[in-house]
Amino acid sequence: MNKTIFKFQHFPFHLVDPSPWPILLSFSLLNLTVGAVTYMHGFTYGGYILSLGFILTTFCMVLWFRDVVIEATYLGHHTKEVKNGLMIGVLLFIVSEVFAFLSVFWAFFHSSLSPAIEIGGSWPPVGITPLDPFAIPLLNTFLLLSSGAFITYGHHALIAGNRKAAIDGVILTIVLAVIFTGLQYFEYSEAGFTMADGIYGSAFYASTGLHGFHVIIGTIFITVSLVRIINYQLTTKHHNGFESSILYWHFVDVVWLFLFVAVYFWGNT
Amino acid sequence: MFKTAVRAARPAALAARASTKSSTSALRAFSTSVRVSSGGPPPPQLYGEGAKAGTVPTDIEQATGLERLQLLGELEGIKVFDDSPLDASRIGTKASPVLVPSYDVERIVGCTGSPADSHDVLWFNVRKDKQSRCTECGSVYALDFQGEEHAVHHH
Repeated sequence: MNKTIFKFQHFPFHLVDPSPWPILLSFSLLNLTVGAVTYMHGFTYGGYILSLGFILTTFCMVLWFRDVVIEATYLGHHTKEVKNGLMIGVLLFIVSEVFAFLSVFWAFFHSSLSPAIEIGGSWPPVGITPLDPFAIPLLNTFLLLSSGAFITYGHHALIAGNRKAAIDGVILTIVLAVIFTGLQYFEYSEAGFTMADGIYGSAFYASTGLHGFHVIIGTIFITVSLVRIINYQLTTKHHNGFESSILYWHFVDVVWLFLFVAVYFWGNT
Repeated sequence: MFKTAVRAARPAALAARASTKSSTSALRAFSTSVRVSSGGPPPPQLYGEGAKAGTVPTDIEQATGLERLQLLGELEGIKVFDDSPLDASRIGTKASPVLVPSYDVERIVGCTGSPADSHDVLWFNVRKDKQSRCTECGSVYALDFQGEEHAVHHH
């Protein structure tokens, strides 16, 4: 046995190869941020810089993902210990996300629990017509909760080895996620307040907008998992990427419930 | 037993390699990852048979590389990667040092005395040709070299 295994490395951990993607992705994200600012503030050629940022970021993401897929599926570097480390990383990342949202909620409650005299001493502020929580926001709540159920269905189907049901469940999740994003876009364009006209709009769009970005990221995350299921890369037991996307999706789901209760419902009355 | 399991996977592996030769080289040509292993032959390739079309693959069908090695080891009841702590029931002496099993000519040891956690952890190297002594408790460690003389030492 010694003769066989000494030909392999003697420890289960993955020492990663040098990779260009961290630094290249950093510059792509800088480009994306600068592009977004120049575009939104109406600078000349801002749209071009923003588009370039999107292209470069997508490029780096796809190639980086491809490298990780090669390391995991085709080179077999992801031993039990490596998978454990990846899962701890995802959980710590989600904890950091929880605190990012905590700060946004803090800002919301800071301004809404004891409304200043400048906004009429009331929340919503005088002159603001808030959105009806029991119209589109309630529908969105059902959409997100249903998508959470569908992704659980897909996950259990994958574990049970049912390829078709797994793919169907994940596709339905993505469809509901896209409808959610579309409805949020529709509601943003119909709302009677903007991000720049006062504290209500600022708190509203900072919190729901941050959540909206997370929904988009989660949708991409799940879409990558779908592609990997279709490409036979995920096995019945080894699918950490898919599990991470599910965890992330449930996190986004829970944040929405808090948003719905605090910002849409309580913040409306 | 384990060896035969690994051996049994060889013909399938070679067949799989031969059939995917063109795609493998294409993969390599565009690969941005650099192999940092210096010298020595690459580790043997371990392949499963892969999933049948329309099914979800299982680990035993699809896992490769170290992941497969660990999996095959588990099926045979062998722990491929030994992560158990060293013997801390006694203080090692020059006549009877604490043995440190190793496939490499050198290992880093973290000593906490005997019984374990008697003192703060002290890290030091234990080499094949020379015993090492913990400067805190005086415990002596010696390498129990199990690898091949000129095997690959690097990851």
